[in-house]
Amino acid sequence: MTAGPRLFSILRQGPYLIASIHTALDDSQLVRFQEDLIDQIGRYRARGVVIDVAALDVLDSFASRMLRDIGEMARLRGAATVVVGIQPDVAFTMVRLGMDTGSVATALDLEEGLSSLERLMNASPGRRT
Amino acid sequence: MTERASAGFPAQISDEEELLPQLVAHLREHRTRLRQEWATRIQGAHLLQAMTPQEMAAETTSVYDNYVEVLETGSVEALQRYARNLSERIIPRGVETQEVVGIVLLLRDVLARSLFEKYQRDFPLLNRVLDAYEPAANRIANTVAVSFVDERERVIRQQQDSIRELSTPVLPVRERLLILPIIGVLDAERARQLTEQLLSGIRTHRAKVVVVDITGVPDVDEAVANHLVQTVDASRLMGASVIITGLSPEIAQTLVTIGVDLSKMDTIGDLQGGLEEAERHLGYAVTRTEGPGGP
Amino acid sequence: MPAAEPAGGTQQGSGSPDVAALIPLVRRIVTARVPDQATADDLVQETLARVLAASGRLESGTLEPYAIVTARNVVTSLWRDQDRQRRHQHRVVDLRPPEAPDEDVLVQEDRAAIAQALSRLSDREREILLAHEVAGRDTRSLAAELGSTAGAVAAQLNRSRARLRVEYLLAAERIEPPTEQCRPVLLAISGGDRRRQRDVDAARHLLECEACGRLSEPLMGRGRTRDDEVRVPVRKDADVVAARHVARELATRLDFSPTDLTLIATAVSELARNIVRFADVGEIVVELLEAPRRGIKVVARDAGPGIDDLDRALLDGYSTYRGLGLGLPGARRLMDEFGIASESGRGTTVTMIKWRDEP
Repeated sequence: MTAGPRLFSILRQGPYLIASIHTALDDSQLVRFQEDLIDQIGRYRARGVVIDVAALDVLDSFASRMLRDIGEMARLRGAATVVVGIQPDVAFTMVRLGMDTGSVATALDLEEGLSSLERLMNASPGRRT
Repeated sequence: MTERASAGFPAQISDEEELLPQLVAHLREHRTRLRQEWATRIQGAHLLQAMTPQEMAAETTSVYDNYVEVLETGSVEALQRYARNLSERIIPRGVETQEVVGIVLLLRDVLARSLFEKYQRDFPLLNRVLDAYEPAANRIANTVAVSFVDERERVIRQQQDSIRELSTPVLPVRERLLILPIIGVLDAERARQLTEQLLSGIRTHRAKVVVVDITGVPDVDEAVANHLVQTVDASRLMGASVIITGLSPEIAQTLVTIGVDLSKMDTIGDLQGGLEEAERHLGYAVTRTEGPGGP
Repeated sequence: MPAAEPAGGTQQGSGSPDVAALIPLVRRIVTARVPDQATADDLVQETLARVLAASGRLESGTLEPYAIVTARNVVTSLWRDQDRQRRHQHRVVDLRPPEAPDEDVLVQEDRAAIAQALSRLSDREREILLAHEVAGRDTRSLAAELGSTAGAVAAQLNRSRARLRVEYLLAAERIEPPTEQCRPVLLAISGGDRRRQRDVDAARHLLECEACGRLSEPLMGRGRTRDDEVRVPVRKDADVVAARHVARELATRLDFSPTDLTLIATAVSELARNIVRFADVGEIVVELLEAPRRGIKVVARDAGPGIDDLDRALLDGYSTYRGLGLGLPGARRLMDEFGIASESGRGTTVTMIKWRDEP
């Protein structure tokens, strides 16, 4: 579906999906990312998702909102979401803007994100689909 | 305007054009004596005492030559560069603005006096020489003073920056754990700096927990309190949790006033307790008296 | 002289047919030096305008060397500006299709357009312009003759050139300005006169008037280009990303801290999105400020429906689209200064500033 250079990638890693955004996306591209990701969570019955946003130099209200929405939708499909790689300036700007990631967990980087998914899984072992 | 008489009628030509070269030649010719006289006057006035006699000799020679060069070329650029360079060297040694201005004015007077001696017999000519000399000399004094003050301001700014950096040290105490002890008044500028250092510190040290100790902060205004809270939230977005220790009742009050829900902030009474809490976060066993207790 | 005799533009009389014959030559000289097609076209026109104006005074034999020299001069003066122009290359829009299907027809149209443009100037304007550009009279001697000052003559020349450019474009595009406001607006833009542009509310007119919006593009590229101001048209999602990128780039020049750069880019993102969502058409103008203190100014302007309840729009949580309603209040929190003006049915203008220096 993605033409030209890949704007994002979604990879499977065991029961988890690793979704990386490679470059600044505009709103319609973000929406496509969201749709692709939600679609794959359902298709692969993923138990967790790590979204890597390290390449984004701006997370404005729309992008932040989208991350929250993904978290919500993933939760309804039985998957936990961790957003990783928010840059220092971006983090501060999000707070200034009045945004956060809502109920979605955050971690420093991919490695941290995966280990915090592990912890979340262990903490709520009852949830299986 | 047209006839340029070779020697006879100097009044036809503008004084500056005619007289300044003469003057420059005179100052070059008597360089050694005049420079020496100047150095003696500087010592007499107890200026530049931070310098050794050798340094003094070297610098006065340079200033003298630059001075004459400005008179000759009319361009202050070289002097400006030299003055800035000189300032850079002497400011760390505590040389004050009035000293620098003082020595340049002394040189102006030493040279003026020698001109007076040379031309005293022809009073109208002396007047014209001084008319040509004074504006140039004042311009030089001005240039040196301004260069010095500029440099001084730059140094002060630099020092302020490094003091600020020192005053918000980010200390990695163990893997994934940072301590940020803040001491002294936290103004807007320092708060901004604190945020940048804390957030970039989280990334470079891959910190999961940060203990911000504000025992040493007397009070903060609402803007700074807001900034503090925003920093805590931003840290969380980067995946690190922040524990605040040493929150004084005054600051707690300010936080409540701006609408911060203190129950959502991780606050611990003192640094020791904060560190123990941090280690629990990290999954280390905290041993006190009750023995090992895993997470 | 033999071929083109009976074509258009006969009223101008004075030997214009010869000029037409020179076009391939001029074009060759210019395109050999200027790779960009749109710019080359511009320069060819400029050369021809000068040659045409001079053709009455020159003997037919000297017309060709005169054209060669003029073309070279025109190219040289472009090169002098090229460093600054390079950054604005994206604004120089080619109004004509890249390759001429029938060069002859185009040549005649251009010639007629130039003639028409010249005829639109007042006699006095035309006289001074020709005396300066063609006969090579300097401003000082012109001023002496006119009982004016060199500065005033130079200003007059600038205005005349600006008018000539506008009239040429109108004639070439065969556009009759749809409103009273069009000519003053185009003139202000052509002359690069920013105060005048504000006075006639040029920016708003360009959003409202389709014809002027189109014509203004080559005029902006031509006018005195400013490298401390960039304007980004905003119509679609991708423009939001472009606008914040431009703002960040420009702000970098003032050495803003990394955090400030992100604050600025994010605020621009919010406003640009508002334009795409609510107004369809608009623009973001980013400008560096020097005095009284340094900073960056962002103006977001649209010709949308306007905001009925400004107070409410600035409240957190007010939203009419998918977002958190943080667009306006959020951007306001990110910047130091924030002002908004909105008129129902005519659009919204938001102005915000981030200061680089402490007050």
